Amino acid sequence: MSSGEPSHRWIRLIEPACTSCMICARECPTWCINIDSHTEPVEGPAPGSRGRTQHVLDSFAIDWSLCMYCGICVEECPFDALEWVSDASPSGSSPSALVEEMVQPQSN
Amino acid sequence: MRWVDWYGDGSLYVLDVALACCALEFDAASAAAAAPLPTLDEQADVVVVISGTVTDRLAPAVAAIVDGCEQQAGRRPTVISFGACATSGGPYWDSYAVTKGIDQLVAVDVYIPGCPPPPEALSAVLDRVAGRVPL
Amino acid sequence: MNEVAPEGWLAAVEKLKADGFAYFDWLGCVDEIGRLDCFRVVLVVRNLAQGAEARMLSCLLPRDDPRIDTVGGVFAGAAWHEREAAELFGVEFIGGERRRLLLSPDFEGTPLRKDEVLAARTGMNWPGAKEPGESEFSPSRRRLVPPGVPDPAVWGDRDESLTSPEPTEVVESAVGGRPRRRRT
Repeated sequence: MSSGEPSHRWIRLIEPACTSCMICARECPTWCINIDSHTEPVEGPAPGSRGRTQHVLDSFAIDWSLCMYCGICVEECPFDALEWVSDASPSGSSPSALVEEMVQPQSN
Repeated sequence: MRWVDWYGDGSLYVLDVALACCALEFDAASAAAAAPLPTLDEQADVVVVISGTVTDRLAPAVAAIVDGCEQQAGRRPTVISFGACATSGGPYWDSYAVTKGIDQLVAVDVYIPGCPPPPEALSAVLDRVAGRVPL
Repeated sequence: MNEVAPEGWLAAVEKLKADGFAYFDWLGCVDEIGRLDCFRVVLVVRNLAQGAEARMLSCLLPRDDPRIDTVGGVFAGAAWHEREAAELFGVEFIGGERRRLLLSPDFEGTPLRKDEVLAARTGMNWPGAKEPGESEFSPSRRRLVPPGVPDPAVWGDRDESLTSPEPTEVVESAVGGRPRRRRT
């Protein structure tokens, strides 16, 4: 392992890169990734052009009590929206404390 | 399954219920620990760490170990589920033979995620349990 | 690998031991559903005097009545391997020990048979069943089925007018195949 590579101890979401494509949730062997998203209309490039929709990520949660740190999600993401982190994922006093919501709350 | 005197001074006794691979990380974390003293100080903290997958067949024995510790120590030990398997069944949650976390039978105080967790994760939790905050 | 009929199993093992293959390596079972309607019991013995040269015996048993003689009288160490095969596949080792080895005494089923579905996954909502842009599991529309879980149309909540699924159909569906459904 090269010195620049982070240790495989925790996984972080790069939220702007996520398109809610669901590939990581589908490839995860332990079913520990839960994603909620919705669609929003997007204006076309020219006035009067056909509108398109885009997916908006509402919730991206990993249940660390189930995760086996295999890294398949990191490998499979087509948009490199998941990355390894060298710090250990934190311990908790209940199993629900180990479910980490990774979508930052919107601040208006 | 073995007791260790974690700091070598009789202040924290830790029992590792070594069930699977996580036990190797416990061994790495406890490399500096000493063999336990014959008598348990009344002020000492007592911790039971469950390291590894809990099968349905073995789960009652693990619960009996925790009960036995409580009787011997005269107080309820702090119970740590070390790693994904002990916490929830981990990657084997769907198995026909695996208990989905030792907390199905025993009250757990701290859940440490990881597959396996790094040894430092256990050391950090034990430092907190013992009231020693690292500098 | 030498193929042996069930009637000749014990004699074949005894002969191998007499020929110098006196080290029992392992005994296992394979569910051949999809290829043959059989279980295949496999045994490997070694001749330690000849550089651990191995011999493998194989015996096909009918899947609906798998019975074979125990070799525990020839190799005492085979008892644990036979107990494991018996509890996980439902093979009967005639004259052998019947105690459970790995499973709880109250466990029901033969989990390593390929048509025994891992029920835990069929009962859980698969997070991957949601489509991009969805937040709830929509029960009405046909959803993706995760790997290892048979299509509900084959196993689970299936159309009652269809015949019961054959074990081969359950297996095929669980590995992603699409068995054709027949109507009664």
